[in-house]
Amino acid sequence: MRRLLAPSLILAATLAATPPAGAATPNDTLVMAWNLDALITLDPAQIAEVNGNDIMRNVCDRLVAFDMKDSSKLVPELAESWSVSADGLTLTFKLRKDIKFPSGKAATAHDAVWSLKRAIHLNFGNAANLTEWGFSAAKADEQFKAVDDHTIEIKLDKPYPPGLILSAAFTANVASVLNKETGEKNAKTTDGKSDYGNAWFKTQSDCVGPYRVRTWNANDVVIIEQTDNYWGKKPGLRRVLIRHIPESGSQRLALEKADIDVARLLNSDDLKGLASNKDVHIEQTLMHGFTYLAFNASDPILSNPKVRLAFRYLIDYEGLGKTIMAYRGAPRGSLVPIGAFGALDEKAGLPFKLDLDAAKKAMVEGGYPNGFQKKLILSANTPNPDLAQHVQANAAKIGIKLDLEQMADANLFTKMRGREFEVGLIGWGAGYPDAHSMVSRHAQNPDNRPEAKLAQYPTWRSAWADPKVNEMAAQAMMERDSAKRIAMYHELQKHMLENGPMAYMFQTIRPIAIRKEVKDFAIAPFKVAYETARK
Amino acid sequence: MAVTDVSRKALAQSKLPPWAWDAWRIGSSAVVTLLGLLALTFFMGRMLPIDPVIAIVGEQADASTYDMVYKQLGLDKPLYVQFGYFMRDMMSGNFGNALFTGNKVSDDLMRVFPATIELATIAITIGVSFGVPIGVLAAVYRGSPIDHFARILGLLGYSVPTFWSGLMGLVLFYAVLGWVSGPGRLDVFYIDVVDRVTGLMLIDAAIAGEWEVWRNVFSHIILPASILSFNAMAFISRLTRSFMLAQLSQEYILAARVKGLSKWEVIRKHAFRNIAVQLVTVISLAYVILLEGAVVTETVFAWPGFGRYLVSGLLAGDMNAVLACVLIVGTLFITINLFCDLLYRILDPRTR
Repeated sequence: MRRLLAPSLILAATLAATPPAGAATPNDTLVMAWNLDALITLDPAQIAEVNGNDIMRNVCDRLVAFDMKDSSKLVPELAESWSVSADGLTLTFKLRKDIKFPSGKAATAHDAVWSLKRAIHLNFGNAANLTEWGFSAAKADEQFKAVDDHTIEIKLDKPYPPGLILSAAFTANVASVLNKETGEKNAKTTDGKSDYGNAWFKTQSDCVGPYRVRTWNANDVVIIEQTDNYWGKKPGLRRVLIRHIPESGSQRLALEKADIDVARLLNSDDLKGLASNKDVHIEQTLMHGFTYLAFNASDPILSNPKVRLAFRYLIDYEGLGKTIMAYRGAPRGSLVPIGAFGALDEKAGLPFKLDLDAAKKAMVEGGYPNGFQKKLILSANTPNPDLAQHVQANAAKIGIKLDLEQMADANLFTKMRGREFEVGLIGWGAGYPDAHSMVSRHAQNPDNRPEAKLAQYPTWRSAWADPKVNEMAAQAMMERDSAKRIAMYHELQKHMLENGPMAYMFQTIRPIAIRKEVKDFAIAPFKVAYETARK
Repeated sequence: MAVTDVSRKALAQSKLPPWAWDAWRIGSSAVVTLLGLLALTFFMGRMLPIDPVIAIVGEQADASTYDMVYKQLGLDKPLYVQFGYFMRDMMSGNFGNALFTGNKVSDDLMRVFPATIELATIAITIGVSFGVPIGVLAAVYRGSPIDHFARILGLLGYSVPTFWSGLMGLVLFYAVLGWVSGPGRLDVFYIDVVDRVTGLMLIDAAIAGEWEVWRNVFSHIILPASILSFNAMAFISRLTRSFMLAQLSQEYILAARVKGLSKWEVIRKHAFRNIAVQLVTVISLAYVILLEGAVVTETVFAWPGFGRYLVSGLLAGDMNAVLACVLIVGTLFITINLFCDLLYRILDPRTR
């Protein structure tokens, strides 16, 4: 027995002798906890998820940036100025003369043009930021031209309103300026097709920006550090360390113990628990995304606008906003998010409230006074099941029987993209703060035929198209008078509130919990500016 | 019995030495088992309604991008062709790329598996150090408070969800008492301080002579390892107890006592030696189960280990990653079985 007990005792002794863990993070480092499960690439041409986007916005500057105080306004970044020709078909960027890559090599218009063409040739999802505006692989050489080291000339196929195309294409990941030399040196060719250094840029960075990627261990940690030779203001903190802590409770404990400075993935309960903690501040940002119910209009009952209208009266926007959706979403019924160019104001954007009589009335007008039975599919992740049960309970009161089916996200997306649903509870994020970002996907539907397979259009997924709406959206997009353009979007939103194939419920809130030691951390919907933070 | 007969016959005919026959028998059954395992996992995995393309292109991608990646991944080919490709690549040691991390599967495994080995090894050490003595004591003092304590411990070990015990452990030992470090393998101060040699951070830190890092790693690993060991301990102590009880009721125990041996001498030299073989099996099994990774513990403690890797791969429909993981788990089980077989021969004279 003694032989067996000995190791146990040694172990117990070691355990007791372990010194207390040191708290507080290094003074020159911002330590942020997040869930990095979805991060698969750091290549700006390829990033399709929120972590990579957030990080790389701090690593690679863009030609144009959003004003941190008002995202619907644009400010110069790598391009110090721009101009549009009289016919509206040529866009000219003047690049800053002092921009350099981390190595010290000057960054030029040739690098910028190469980066733009690269995104189109690689043709990942992000290429749509450019191809949507008429740019294409075949014509890229004529469309993007470096006139000299500091001038880029861009040929447009239509005279888009400058604010729109700048915001949609030239603030995006694809408008980062990567080092052409690094890209060409590390390019790999398979089957005669170059990867433009994609394999290299997946895990490393060489672009103009305040930070560079130092380490990325998948599902563990990303470390970025300050670059020398940066043209802009030096970051307040030398390093930013993003730790993968996938569990909310663990993040909260680490934040309270000051082992991390910033927590990015806290659930409502933990945020409520932290609300009274004086060492922590919770910054809530209204994002340009939604939680909504989508209806499949190929279903004879759900194709009826009155039926869809009834659902809008079944949601207790205010009550849910204070409970289940606290720190997650703000009530919003219109499809253009608050903060975007052309959005209806808060009041006009939510003309509905929980009103069973109004819902019943709409059902009678729609011809279904006795209700019907439908299936509602949703993600199993919180808070979706709670939201769905809420809708289910209220629907039952007016005779609509909803059967809930929870599933993994990937599965839900597949079903929605394949039109294999009746009612779906799902989310969407707008790409840029202009009404067109949502309208082009959630109102317009260029081709409603099943064989068109326009799965990137939620309208197509809902098998819903309205020629009048398509026309209104097309006109609003091309209107170059801002005031007129806003009015057109307002009219379109009002029309969609009554007739659209979605019932929008909440505009996404992004809560970020920050320790009080961290100061001046600037946060906007489209950028969390690590470089502003200081301790 | 039948196998032994056949083996004797084959042996007589082929005139091979016995070890060669054993090696062939074990080797071939291992290969068949692994092949079956891979095929089953592959086809079942592909039947899951999860689309790996979405994980790559994003939910908002258009159909042409989607189709392009769909073809790149070879998903347009019939299932058996896809499986054939996988087997062909695997034979040349190439597990392909993991879609959900973007890295080579082999690189990923080199990273996540050591994290799990380190955790599992410490957990099983704790589990055995406590589980075996508790089991023995519970059997010897059957019905006494020690026995009851062991039973309650066993019950808790089985029934307390790791998610809860992990978080509570963090609250108590990390947040309130400050005895241990929080989630992750290392404090931010120490990241990248020690060169990676084995991937086992305790060993790497020791090699580098960085004892401060070593202490930090230890203070990070001890809590998740203890939480994990709890379940293993319950399993081991319960089985130790019942093995021991079976021995203690045997007549040879009585005979030994009558011969004048002391109680503990009988237990140590006779009873315990007799259950050693069974115990080795139980402990090996517990160890392999720990090596498969523990998703929940890894999640709560932000441990970049094998369990989470496997589950993330599965949820993303990433068959390259899943199959490589399954291959590892399968190989582990077969190896441990083999190891137990060999140990039996050494520990139990009757098998010689």
